Amino acid sequence: MGVITDKLPGVLEPVPGGQVLLTAVDQLINWSRSNSLWPLTFGTSCCAIEMMMATGAARHDMARFGAEVARPSPRQADLLVIAGTIVKRMAPRLRTLYEQMAEPRYVMATGSCAICGGPFMYDSYTTIRGADEVIPVDVYVPGCPPRPEAFFYGLLTLQKMIREGESIRHPGERRRPVLAALPEGMTLDDIRKEMQDLLSHDANVKMVDELAEGAHFSAELKDF
Amino acid sequence: MDAPNLIAAVQALQPDATVREKTDRPTLIVPAEGLVALATRLRDDPALKFELLEAHTAIDWIEEDRFELLYLLASIAHGHVLTLSVSVDRENPEVPTLCNVYPIAEWLERESYDLMGILYDDHPDLRRLFLEDDWVGFPLRKDYEDDFMLERPE
Ligand code: SF4
Repeated sequence: MGVITDKLPGVLEPVPGGQVLLTAVDQLINWSRSNSLWPLTFGTSCCAIEMMMATGAARHDMARFGAEVARPSPRQADLLVIAGTIVKRMAPRLRTLYEQMAEPRYVMATGSCAICGGPFMYDSYTTIRGADEVIPVDVYVPGCPPRPEAFFYGLLTLQKMIREGESIRHPGERRRPVLAALPEGMTLDDIRKEMQDLLSHDANVKMVDELAEGAHFSAELKDF
Repeated sequence: MDAPNLIAAVQALQPDATVREKTDRPTLIVPAEGLVALATRLRDDPALKFELLEAHTAIDWIEEDRFELLYLLASIAHGHVLTLSVSVDRENPEVPTLCNVYPIAEWLERESYDLMGILYDDHPDLRRLFLEDDWVGFPLRKDYEDDFMLERPE
């Protein structure tokens, strides 16, 4: 890979049609990068449990997005998911881990703690107010902790960013074009409906009609 | 042993221990002086057998100008539990260490030294546990302040 990204632009650009070819190579490389994200096994507090839910548990199955091979060594990982609170003592270690990861590397901050310090923002002697004070962050996923759906939304956003973002002509320079990663023609109501369909097959979930909720709820509770 | 019997048995060992009412665990308030002797007897007495120090924490009662130290004891053999509460002066928070009775106390006491600044007499290795070695102050004290902290706006 190093040879391709280092040498190819210099060789191809002068020849006729080389520009087009380079763009095609860009697309190929970005596509493969976005579909083989290897997250680092790194979690510092409660959000890490949610990340395990998203990556390891059966229902959510991150393998669908080519990102399931969690690596315990930063040398082999290229996605750093900051799941949890970063404290003063952790910050230098986080920095080291980030620097040990090979380029191209991507960072997702999940949970309010990693975004801004979250519930520990005030009156804390040690919580860093946002992981982006320590390392650059590509995608933020809000929540305390974020639901796995939100986690995947962040992952899809990151993949979209990777696919559109970088060119081997300027390695390391990243465009951040992402507004929303919702596929075209899809609305929030569609997603809600799909969720409802999915959940209604689940034996553990009791669907409550939203409008009749108030009346229903007490009766159902009594039955329960 | 159930709670009233347990308290009676411990009070027989340590007559000046007072009982705290309305607690989940039977709790005795004891003076700091005889703490090591009491803990040794609680551990070794065959009817009590508190061989486990489950946890040790400190509470900062700043209005009353004292730290309260809690020792949560448990007996695996008999399945009963007991809490000892010791109060120390806030200006001079010194207590004897329980390291020689319960080896786990070494780290538990380092923790409450680190965050609360309780000083343990005869502790073999009273260093900081969580914070950096050059940290100034004890952050879980109610009057702790530093430049890093943000005040919550009203
Ligand atoms: S954002 Fe919430 S769930 Fe996540 S690490 Fe912080 S406190 Fe825990």
